[in-house]
Amino acid sequence: MDCEKVRDRFSSFWGKELIPPEEKIIREHLSSCQACQREFEQFEKTMEWLRSVGEERVPNGFFPELQKKMEERKGRAISAERGSGRWLGFPLSLKLPVQAVAMVAVIFLVLYLAKMMPTETYRLKEDTQTAPPLSVEKKPEQVLAQKEVESERGTARAPAEISRQKDVEQVKTPSPGEEKLKETYVPQVKAETKRTEMPASGTEVTEHKIVDSKEATRPQVPSPEPGKIAQGLLAKEKFIVASKPPREITLRVSDRERVTSKVNEIVKQFGGEVVAAEGDMLLVSLPTVSFSEFEKELQDLSPSAKADKAAAKRQILGSAKAAPGGKREEVNEKSEELAKSAVDQDSRTVVRILLTPE
Amino acid sequence: MGSCPRIQKEVIEGCRAGDEKAFADIVLNRQKKVFNIAYRMLGNLEEAKDLAQEVFISVFESIKDLKEEIKFDAWLTQITLNHCRNRWKYLKRRHYFNSDSLDDPIETEEGTMPKAIHDPSDNPETHYEKKMVQELIQRGLLKLKEDQRELLVLRDLQGFSYEEMSEMLDLPEGTIKSKLHRARMDLKGILEKSVH
Repeated sequence: MDCEKVRDRFSSFWGKELIPPEEKIIREHLSSCQACQREFEQFEKTMEWLRSVGEERVPNGFFPELQKKMEERKGRAISAERGSGRWLGFPLSLKLPVQAVAMVAVIFLVLYLAKMMPTETYRLKEDTQTAPPLSVEKKPEQVLAQKEVESERGTARAPAEISRQKDVEQVKTPSPGEEKLKETYVPQVKAETKRTEMPASGTEVTEHKIVDSKEATRPQVPSPEPGKIAQGLLAKEKFIVASKPPREITLRVSDRERVTSKVNEIVKQFGGEVVAAEGDMLLVSLPTVSFSEFEKELQDLSPSAKADKAAAKRQILGSAKAAPGGKREEVNEKSEELAKSAVDQDSRTVVRILLTPE
Repeated sequence: MGSCPRIQKEVIEGCRAGDEKAFADIVLNRQKKVFNIAYRMLGNLEEAKDLAQEVFISVFESIKDLKEEIKFDAWLTQITLNHCRNRWKYLKRRHYFNSDSLDDPIETEEGTMPKAIHDPSDNPETHYEKKMVQELIQRGLLKLKEDQRELLVLRDLQGFSYEEMSEMLDLPEGTIKSKLHRARMDLKGILEKSVH
């Protein structure tokens, strides 16, 4: 047996694990080979040292420290279990509403954020500008606000400019029969409120015009059709006369100046005032209650005097429709405008007194 | 585990049921063995103490998985070796053993001592020399490969049989014997180099 094989059996030989014939072979080799013998002596010493190694004492406090560690871990495990399992432990009757509320809140937040995004806002704005149905379907509040703005514009305009409004199709007066028109819309008609103040009377006449919202975008542009202007004015005049026509009294007089001064006196006597005196026409404003008395007084001045309200209305309407263009008609137009501004809707009556020579 | 009295079946069952007294009984009966295996495998008292405590925590947590009470010691040693392997890897990654040398001072329970320069067998009677031999062996063990160290610790320090080792390490007895011989020869070579 060579040295290598003998050295491979050192452990078995040292542990007496070899069968007797093998042990004999090793023993004989070791006695004859000094190198292997020296190697075996080193091996034996190593094993002697190794086997001499005793056990170390367990450090003091080993078990209490172990218990402490276990307690800490148990506590951590419980807290972790509680932390993760607390929500799961809640009853479904509590969890479901909370989850639903949270979901709704998230949806509202998303919608709010989506609306607040600048691109979206711009797009919506563009849509409102381009889509005609949206601009047509204006809310009543918007229309009223627009009317307010236009009424302010209207006060700034001159009366002559106001009278040249082109796109008036329907005019509303404050008569009780027409009250509904104030609140309703007329398609394709512009609504405009104007306030003109007559310096002589101090009373106000308010007109409401309903306008097309499309036309409101270009309010200062006059219509190119001249016929429409006349139509509009006519309609306006018709409406004023129809709503609150001035009473007309025709006096056949021989001495015009005397009758005029007499009329002035009677007017003052009944608490009225002469709004205008032009040629053969006197425009008088006086309390409605005293009109009948006033009429009687005037009839006393001239036996042929007539106060026929219906006739007066017809005459005014007829003159407006015919539009003959005479001096008389001009006076009538002016008187209508003055009457319009002078009339106090509820308590005063405007009376037009025509003086005709006998 | 060699000379230790076998852990009673009732104690194991009590521990399995969560009985802290039974667990304490197991710890007190096996703490020295577990701690010494850990110390020989790691070479550090503090690490060994911590590791041994971890082993017993694992035992308490997983004793319900132990099917045969008779194999409790083999099972406990396997848990200890597994912890030792993991801790060894962990410490090695942190270069914990890089500065280790047989020339370094030796750590003992009574403090540190200088490395043995002369053969301690020249004066084996003295306590100092005995301690020095022990620490030389410990340093030598740490120079071996991990699996070699395991074999030496189990067989030559803890006194396990080849059969037990074969079961614990899941290796044939022949392989255990040959590997063990190789480990002893390597340790002899290490000690020869360190001792004049």
